[in-house]
Amino acid sequence: MFDLTTIFEFTHNTVIFSIGITAVLASLGVILCSSPIYSALYLIGHMICLALLFLLYNAEFLAAVQIIVYAGAVMILFLFIIALLGGKKEIQEFTFERSIAFAFIFTLMGELYLSATVGPTKQIVGNVNPEIFGTAKAIGLELYSKHLVAFELASALLLVAAVGVICLAKFSFAPLKRR
Amino acid sequence: MFASSWLILLFPLTGFIFLSWYGKRISKAFVGFIGCGTVGISFLASLVALSDLLFLPAEEGVGKVEVLYQWVSAANFKLDLAILVDPLSVFMFLIVTGVGFVIHVYSIGYMQDDPEYSRFFSYLNLFIFSMLVLVAAADFFFLIVGWALVGLASYLLIGFYKEKTSAVLAARKAFVMNVIGDVGMVIAAFMIFESFGTLNFIDVFDAAPEMFRPNDDQILLITLLLLVGAFAKSAQLPLHTWLPDAMEGPTPVSALIHAATMVTAGVYLIARCHVLYELAPFTMYLIATVGVLTAIFAGTMGMVQYDIKRVIAYSTMSQLGYMFLAMGIGVYSLGMFHLMTHAFFKALLFLAAGSVIHALDGEQDIRKMGGLKNIMPLTHATFLIGALALAGFPLTSGYFSKEAIILSSYHAEMGNFVFWAIALITAGMTAFYIFRVYFATFIGKTRSPDAHPHESPLTMALPLVFLAVLALAGGFLGPLVDAFLAPVFGHEAHHFHDGILETIALIVGIGGIATAALMYQVSKDRIELMKEVFAPLYDLLFHKYYVDEIYDFLIVKPTKAIGTFMEEKAEKQGVDFAVDQVGFQVKEVSRGISFWQTGRVRTYALNMVAGMVIILLFVVFM
Amino acid sequence: MGQEFVLLVSSTVFCVGACGFIIRKNPLIMFMSVELMLNSVNFLLIAYSSFLNSLDGQIFALIIMTVAAAEVVVGLAIILTIFRTRHEMDVDQINALKG
Repeated sequence: MFDLTTIFEFTHNTVIFSIGITAVLASLGVILCSSPIYSALYLIGHMICLALLFLLYNAEFLAAVQIIVYAGAVMILFLFIIALLGGKKEIQEFTFERSIAFAFIFTLMGELYLSATVGPTKQIVGNVNPEIFGTAKAIGLELYSKHLVAFELASALLLVAAVGVICLAKFSFAPLKRR
Repeated sequence: MFASSWLILLFPLTGFIFLSWYGKRISKAFVGFIGCGTVGISFLASLVALSDLLFLPAEEGVGKVEVLYQWVSAANFKLDLAILVDPLSVFMFLIVTGVGFVIHVYSIGYMQDDPEYSRFFSYLNLFIFSMLVLVAAADFFFLIVGWALVGLASYLLIGFYKEKTSAVLAARKAFVMNVIGDVGMVIAAFMIFESFGTLNFIDVFDAAPEMFRPNDDQILLITLLLLVGAFAKSAQLPLHTWLPDAMEGPTPVSALIHAATMVTAGVYLIARCHVLYELAPFTMYLIATVGVLTAIFAGTMGMVQYDIKRVIAYSTMSQLGYMFLAMGIGVYSLGMFHLMTHAFFKALLFLAAGSVIHALDGEQDIRKMGGLKNIMPLTHATFLIGALALAGFPLTSGYFSKEAIILSSYHAEMGNFVFWAIALITAGMTAFYIFRVYFATFIGKTRSPDAHPHESPLTMALPLVFLAVLALAGGFLGPLVDAFLAPVFGHEAHHFHDGILETIALIVGIGGIATAALMYQVSKDRIELMKEVFAPLYDLLFHKYYVDEIYDFLIVKPTKAIGTFMEEKAEKQGVDFAVDQVGFQVKEVSRGISFWQTGRVRTYALNMVAGMVIILLFVVFM
Repeated sequence: MGQEFVLLVSSTVFCVGACGFIIRKNPLIMFMSVELMLNSVNFLLIAYSSFLNSLDGQIFALIIMTVAAAEVVVGLAIILTIFRTRHEMDVDQINALKG
């Protein structure tokens, strides 16, 4: 009854549940805030929740990558741009288009929930050594053998993005007259 | 040997093409030389074909079909580019190219002052070519092709003076009536194809006697429809109204087309299809009736006209009626013989009249002519010979051919007393009106003091002499023609000899001439008095029995009304509207749809989400 | 927890992100909604790779992170360029393709 495994299970599930709920609430915060800075901060919170969830699901390497790259680099970039450009606080009003959007979104959610009852269609059973599951070593072994092409293409993509940004940001434009 | 017959067709065609391309750039003398030369060479080639035919051994049949090119060779339809060289077609070749050549030479002189000299000769060559295609055709298809081409050439030639409104209208009228005939012929060709499976003359005529009983419905229809074409082309009732108006064309045109060649196409058609007509005695009777009625009809109208060319045109209509009478009775070779002699003396009459018109600078009214006997002796003599031949004076060619027809109308199996009587009366009227013209034009005092008439140049005089000789001597060729054409018609025509009837006809003919002479001696007031007495009759005759007005009211006006209506309602409001609406509605619909493109990213994202929703619906529920 | 929970959380966050993309006018916030959607998918992939004991899911998630990073960089550069030329932070005003 109250042996270690059940307590462990219970704690495990509670933690996952709470972090999940926090993630959902944080995402709601992203879209509902009036100021972009707040939305960015909520997004960082959401990403940290996700990183914790990754840890709980045996993906240490990816949790680290999430924090360092995503929450660390990408969101800092976002914050810089928000600081540079800013944006006015906008007031939310409910228009006809918005109601249609909500209708569609709720339908989408319903359908996705339905998929929860279906379950996986095909059993994929991998053969990873459970001791090293989720570590950098395992990911490295997979990445450079089975998914080499994807890896190379991803690096090419990054190069292209870097070049593109340099091209885009190089020119200075004379500001147009306001409409 | 017979392959040289293609040259008969080839030369006028090249003449037409050459003159229409280069005619304006070469000298008038050269144009005349080319124009006449091509027809002359055709005539020589026809002589060669004649000799070939005469020397053909009897077992090779009556004639030969020369195939140039196998055009259509489908499963159940075969059509070749071929010409048929048999006595009938060679006969027509000789007439068409011979008389055509003479008229071409005449035209060199007549059209000398006309600026459109080369156009005239190119059209003349086109006409000769078309007529040759018509008579040389070996199947109904090319017969109809030649038929239509001849109609086109006559349209071009009648409307030659294209600035004259009356000429253009007359050309249009002639063409429309010819097209009516064309429709009949085409339907007949379809029916022939349906019954016989082929359009070839030889195959059809061989198969016809076995396929149909006499007076069968099918064969009656076919012959009647072919008859529509023949009547339209040869200006018989009721499709005759175009012929008098066609005199708007230059005189050589009238001589060639409306005396010697085109109008005889109908007679040729019946002669060619005589096998079919013999199987439909009812149609033959109809032909004879219409022919003899047209003859007297035209005769009455010819008596009161005072345009010299119109009188001769009515006499053409009348003589064609004689030819149709002969065809309807069954004496085909007599009809063809009359065709030949008529070609001679009618062309002669037209050319002599043209000589008079040319001399008087375009005057065509006989009331304004007179006393030309001593000024233009050659024209006078040739006109007199032509008039005697037309009236059937003994020993002229017209006497032999017309007498034979009048006799046959009484004595042949299908002839009867009424035909004979009407033909006889018409002969009297013919003599009267042609001599009325003769007296008015050549005898007595000059009624046209302003003009300075002169005798015609050599190019115009020589053809007159030549034709006059033929008009006199052609009669003696009668038996030869009969023998020559006998193989085509199956038997020689029977020449009847009936002393009593011949004498009666002679008396009627001379009586007509004498009446004309008397009328001429009578003073003017008496003539005016007679006109008043007979006023209503005179009016009726003068206005051509009001047939033109009747046609205008019954046919032309309704057709024009329908045409206008269709253009207003059906065309503008119907078809144009529909087509415009197609484009317009497309624009409207696309304008409606273009509201979808807002240019805003968020709307497009919404569209994407909506699409995803729908696809997932499919996935989930199906 | 279980697979249902992962699915529920993931799809909820995804739909929240889609909602945010359609609702907001500020391009930066729209971009952040896109990041939300990508993150939700990452989570789903990694959880399932754990359930199914296969590392393909984690590799896929890693690649997605790469792509997201590249995309953010280029996208922000574009937004920057638009702001420099037009001084607008409202996506609705960029409707030159209208009609």
